[in-house]
Amino acid sequence: MKKLNLLILKYKKEEFNLLSLLEETVKVKGFLSFETLNYISKNLKIPLAKLYGMASFYSFLPTAKTGKYVIRVCNSPSCYLNGSQEVLEILKKFGIEVGKTTKNRKFTLELTSCIGCCDSPPAMMINNKVYKNLDKTKIWNIIKGLK
Amino acid sequence: MQILRKSGWAGFEKTLKMDRKEVIKKVKESGLNGRSGCNFPTGLKWELMGKGVRYLICNANEGEPGTFKDKFIMEKNPSLLIEGIAIASYAMGIHKTFIYLRGEYSYLKPKLERVIKQSEEYLKKINLKININLGAGSYLCGEETAIMESIEGKRPVVRQKPPYPPEVGLYGKSTCVNNVETLANVPLIFLGGWNNKLELYSLSGDLKKPGVHEVEGGIKLKQIVSLAKPKTEPKIIYFGASGGCLPYKKFENLSVGYKSISEQGCMLNGRGLIICGKNREIVELSKIFTEFFLQENCGYCTPCREGNFRIWELLKKIGCRKGRKSDLNLLQKLAYYISDTSYCALGTSSTNHLKCALKYFKGEFLKLCK
Repeated sequence: MKKLNLLILKYKKEEFNLLSLLEETVKVKGFLSFETLNYISKNLKIPLAKLYGMASFYSFLPTAKTGKYVIRVCNSPSCYLNGSQEVLEILKKFGIEVGKTTKNRKFTLELTSCIGCCDSPPAMMINNKVYKNLDKTKIWNIIKGLK
Repeated sequence: MQILRKSGWAGFEKTLKMDRKEVIKKVKESGLNGRSGCNFPTGLKWELMGKGVRYLICNANEGEPGTFKDKFIMEKNPSLLIEGIAIASYAMGIHKTFIYLRGEYSYLKPKLERVIKQSEEYLKKINLKININLGAGSYLCGEETAIMESIEGKRPVVRQKPPYPPEVGLYGKSTCVNNVETLANVPLIFLGGWNNKLELYSLSGDLKKPGVHEVEGGIKLKQIVSLAKPKTEPKIIYFGASGGCLPYKKFENLSVGYKSISEQGCMLNGRGLIICGKNREIVELSKIFTEFFLQENCGYCTPCREGNFRIWELLKKIGCRKGRKSDLNLLQKLAYYISDTSYCALGTSSTNHLKCALKYFKGEFLKLCK
């Protein structure tokens, strides 16, 4: 809560806008739970519905608990033509499935729209890092490298 | 490449010696048009700005699938962009600028911040503050009024137009929204030797050498595609997700430009070309593009939200060879209803790809139907 209070104070000083506040909150809390949103709503006197409306709109603002690493595989045409489905198959071998979080709460896998890496497909993002030109060994090394 | 030229703030220094109106006049005369998709004359846009507090928004929320030219500029030549923002702000008398950077490009934020810090002495001369606002993964936020809603801290639903942004924009004030590529071209106008016709094209798909290429507008489709070395003979060219598609063989000699492409019922959105090889099936591709709109529509209006879902269902059915010929009529009707009745540009352009597919590749759809 201390960190969250600090963020709210920063928002009150107009250091950043509401979207940035929610983004920073995700960094601190991992996701935007009902309690977190309620707390922000009461502190800033912003209707809870408005906050939830924003949180549910953006794909980078999760409202449910996610794994430590959120994998976002690009499912847009350019990556699709260059084997994004195979990337999903390989991830499946690790027990990571689309729309699900692994039991050890380490990985969550989501499909995302274009991440602007059409020149080096297929691509995926893990948290905020982008991995391009994926193939079997590369994915293997990436997943094994994440502790 | 012209866009990679270093200006080193020489263009900005030149404009400071000029009157504001002169700067706008010069931009107007140069013939610079918006490079995001609408092709609106940039000088005219600047001239339309109102009085009082004004804002400039640099639209770096490049979400169109197959488009990555703005990322290319921000990665390779960010100082040119910042200089362009400074010149635009000076010309319009703006003291606060927002760069709306998409969340997927968050790794570019430190780089841009560093460049802004290094340029502080120039920005101080015109008392300009540049803020970087990070998006959170929304395609819709590429629309100018949706960006404003997002910066204001609201759910980014597109605003009704008119009033247009120069009258009522961000926080109710007069606002100008320009694309990254447009702004990056501004300093080059004042440096001299700038070629108006050189534009960036993003090429991706079944290619050996995908990437950003700078070519003169009006070049033939065949020539652009050959730059990226297709793996197999190209069959279909998609102009991003919302731009529609054309059969390559029939149109390989078409000169690529806003006018010539829109005459064929397509849109040259952000100049992103997705090239699909000869083995690709149109029904499968249409399904992938529809999936994109399912993911990115905001849910505000019914035709776009429900219609695209029904299209996806029908395409899935046809793909499994369970479709009937009457389903094709339904598809066509839905495609036109959605584009006629949706609330914003995302909805109205969301079925362009399907309309074109049914126009040029109906035979392939029929083959799969009973």
